[in-house]
Amino acid sequence: MTINWQLLMPELIIILTFILVAIFDLFNSIQKTVAAWLTIVGCAIALYVSIDMLQVGMEGTEFSNMIQVDKYSLFFNVIFLVSTILVVLISMNYLGRTDRRQGEYYLLILLATLGMMLMASGNELIVVFLGLELMSLSLYVLAGYFQRSMASSEAGMKYLLLGAFASGFFLYGIALIYGGAGTTSIPKIASAITVNATSPLLLSGMFLLVVGFGFKVALVPFHQWAPDVYEGAPTSIAAFISAGPKAAGFAAFLRIFLEALQNIQSEWIVVVTILAALTMTVGNLVAIAQRNIKRMLAYSSIAHAGYVLVGLAAANKDGISSAMFYLLIYCIMNIGAFGAVILARTEDGESLMISDYAGLGFKKPLLALFMTLMLLSLAGFPPTAGFVGKFYIFRSAVESGQIWLVIIGAINTAISAFYYLRVVVAMYMREPEEELDFHPYPSLLIVALTLAAIGVVLIGILPSYFLSPAQISTFL
Amino acid sequence: MLSLMIFIPLLGMLVVLFAIRREQEELAKRVTFIITLIPLLIAVFLFIDYDRSASGHQYEEDMMWIEAFNIRYHVGIDGLSVTLVLLTALLGPICVLASWKIDKGIKAYLALFLLLETGMIGFFCALDMFLFYVFFELTLLPMYFLIGIWGGERREYAAIKFFLYTLFGSVLMLIAMIAVYLKSGTDDVARTFDIPTLINLAKTPGHALADPTFQIWAFLGFFIGFAVKVPIFPFHTWLPDAHVEAPTAISVILAGILLKMGTYGLVRVNFAMLPEGMDFFCNGKGTWGNSLAILGFINIVYGSLCALAQTDFKKLVAYSSIGHMGFVLIGLAARNESGLTGAILQMFNHGVISAMLFLLVGVVYDRAHHREINGFGGLGSKMPIYTGITTLAFMASLGLPGLSGFVGEALSLLGAYSKFKVLTILSTAGIVVGAAYFLWTLQRVFLGELNPKYEAITEINGREIATLVPLGILTIVLGIWPSIAIDMFREAVSLLPLVQ
Repeated sequence: MTINWQLLMPELIIILTFILVAIFDLFNSIQKTVAAWLTIVGCAIALYVSIDMLQVGMEGTEFSNMIQVDKYSLFFNVIFLVSTILVVLISMNYLGRTDRRQGEYYLLILLATLGMMLMASGNELIVVFLGLELMSLSLYVLAGYFQRSMASSEAGMKYLLLGAFASGFFLYGIALIYGGAGTTSIPKIASAITVNATSPLLLSGMFLLVVGFGFKVALVPFHQWAPDVYEGAPTSIAAFISAGPKAAGFAAFLRIFLEALQNIQSEWIVVVTILAALTMTVGNLVAIAQRNIKRMLAYSSIAHAGYVLVGLAAANKDGISSAMFYLLIYCIMNIGAFGAVILARTEDGESLMISDYAGLGFKKPLLALFMTLMLLSLAGFPPTAGFVGKFYIFRSAVESGQIWLVIIGAINTAISAFYYLRVVVAMYMREPEEELDFHPYPSLLIVALTLAAIGVVLIGILPSYFLSPAQISTFL
Repeated sequence: MLSLMIFIPLLGMLVVLFAIRREQEELAKRVTFIITLIPLLIAVFLFIDYDRSASGHQYEEDMMWIEAFNIRYHVGIDGLSVTLVLLTALLGPICVLASWKIDKGIKAYLALFLLLETGMIGFFCALDMFLFYVFFELTLLPMYFLIGIWGGERREYAAIKFFLYTLFGSVLMLIAMIAVYLKSGTDDVARTFDIPTLINLAKTPGHALADPTFQIWAFLGFFIGFAVKVPIFPFHTWLPDAHVEAPTAISVILAGILLKMGTYGLVRVNFAMLPEGMDFFCNGKGTWGNSLAILGFINIVYGSLCALAQTDFKKLVAYSSIGHMGFVLIGLAARNESGLTGAILQMFNHGVISAMLFLLVGVVYDRAHHREINGFGGLGSKMPIYTGITTLAFMASLGLPGLSGFVGEALSLLGAYSKFKVLTILSTAGIVVGAAYFLWTLQRVFLGELNPKYEAITEINGREIATLVPLGILTIVLGIWPSIAIDMFREAVSLLPLVQ
């Protein structure tokens, strides 16, 4: 059997990078940044290759139909790799102050990225599960990376316990679906289901998958881990967890539900619609009550999962591409927002209370500008990318008749503006209560934030370049 | 031509932000003033060059923007928008002059102001629904910062309230907009956001957009979006707060332009594009059929009565704005030539007069640092010129014949009388109350014994006079010779789906 290695180039590059970083880290523990730079270069090459393959339109299956490389998975590769590059850029200065070895930090990030890529290209529930575990296990360790910090260790522990639960649900769901359909291959399930449409095994398997995905992408009511983990984990890792893995979860979620389970659409669409409405509403309402910016961003990212879910509830071609397009935008702006949080560092550590941001608008104009831009984009304000993304999602859902869900989503958008703006209000309209001594700007963080800002504005003003790939990359 | 006008302020914003150093405050103000003169010059040119007899849009520019959704960058002006573009461009330099005394973060202030101007001009020129919405939202943000950073005591509250109210309205508008877009075509027939095309489709019998039930729902979505902006009772509560806290120049823009965005949207979208929906709310039958006229009536009477009760000079002017926008509504509800002419004229006139009023409030506030109407008295002897200009503005606002305010209100009511007799008669009460609060204010502030606290108050200065004179001239000219304005939009009004 010959393997078409070309099809797996992005994954192979990541593996190669992983090996290089591992070897390098073994022999060199002095120059800490080299591991990071290797990671960035590796991801950048993989990104380039993915975009190239996307443009050429390279598609195919490999390993006896276990892996399905298509435009859909390649588009997600782009999302993951862009997120990873941005996260590594915001991590370098952030970790620079700790004297720990950093090799394993980047190794774990690379592993998690590989897991995500597997999830997006898995054509088989088992492969999706393997990808999910590869990603999750790396993330558990990363969440607890600051061993000496109680919060970080607690975050890692909590994430591990709840994540393991979710994986259990997920695996059980796969087992039941195997029982119902007699196969774990996604296309084969799709054709098997037409025969015995609503077997209870399939339905309960479907529900368990919803629970499993619900945990992984933090949908209400499976979201409780998210705020605690985001708050305790290193901020750069909170950014990472909130971006790529969420996109990966949705990549598999969309593919499994709209391809394998498309014939029981009428059954799951109700569940997904209710979850979407709940997730948006609870996420946004609880975010209002937060005083800690990392917790606020955690709830905001829960709410954003709700918006993406609206794309799944639309259950049409545009629904998928709008979810893909939105995830791309969401990853950029959310990492940008966390990056801005890292930027606001004082001698005592990070300023995490929203009240600490008082007066920053005039004291640290650049930081305030970045933060404002990212928050406005999260709030879905034109002409930023967040607006175009939401517009597309709402458009798809209206088209498929989910008008009430869209109305709930639109009202949620207005609610969310309230808490995003509260940070802006603090920065520009309040006087600081105590003089905080902020660090000077680290250069790489500025580079990352500038990239994110350019992305947010560029996609907002000229969305066509990013929209068209999303539109032609669906699997339906 | 139009793009130049829209984007020169944006370019100016970048210049102010990045090419001028923080210390060069004077330079920043001068540069901004010159930048805002450019759109004004273009607007004056458009005013002269505009072909008054031609129907349809002029100076159109049309190119593809977001191909996937057939969203175009399509701008152009017709009679409805040309006067409002002129008004916006005129208030630009006036407001820069009125902001001369701002001392905190002037660079950011001017940059945001220029961004606001781009949003406003763009909004009135946009002929693509999506573009229209983007510009609509684009004005929201700078306004929010301008109130929230440079406002008074409770600026934070006022800014957030303004922002959330407007955003709430506009997300509903967004849904209506998406619905209209999706109905405009099918998977085989390209859908469109193009406003002129949509207007034609909505008139085509049998087209999905022409369906009355659909139009009623879409009407509601758009209506709430615009109603918050106008503001129409009961969505008006943000307005007094925003006005009281906003700095003078920003109040001028708020009353002069932003409120007009709401009424302009009602004419452009709700009336022109959704005639069936409009018919449901204005046909004079039952509660629904009178609802728009009733809202107009409430705005007029409620706004005026609230104004009468105010002791804060600025709040009084703010509530009087609510009252005056009621005339636009009731004229619009009439759906005949006279009503529409009156409504559109009233938009322009109110823009000019309320701008004057807010500038005048700013003048006295800068000197006395309070706006309590009962705290003055006898200022007429110390500030004769100021008193004279204020009297002119008051008279114009209360609708004295011979000044511009009268023409618009009279035509609106005349148009409405043929459709809603009782409501129109009741609405005239608003004019009486209007006369009462303005004359009473005149008496309390300027007449009687001079309040000894203000022995040393200084007369209005040259810069302040310069902001008021062009507006004052306009109120007199348009009062005597309203056809210069009416000629601009006569053709456009005749193209609207009027009902005789």
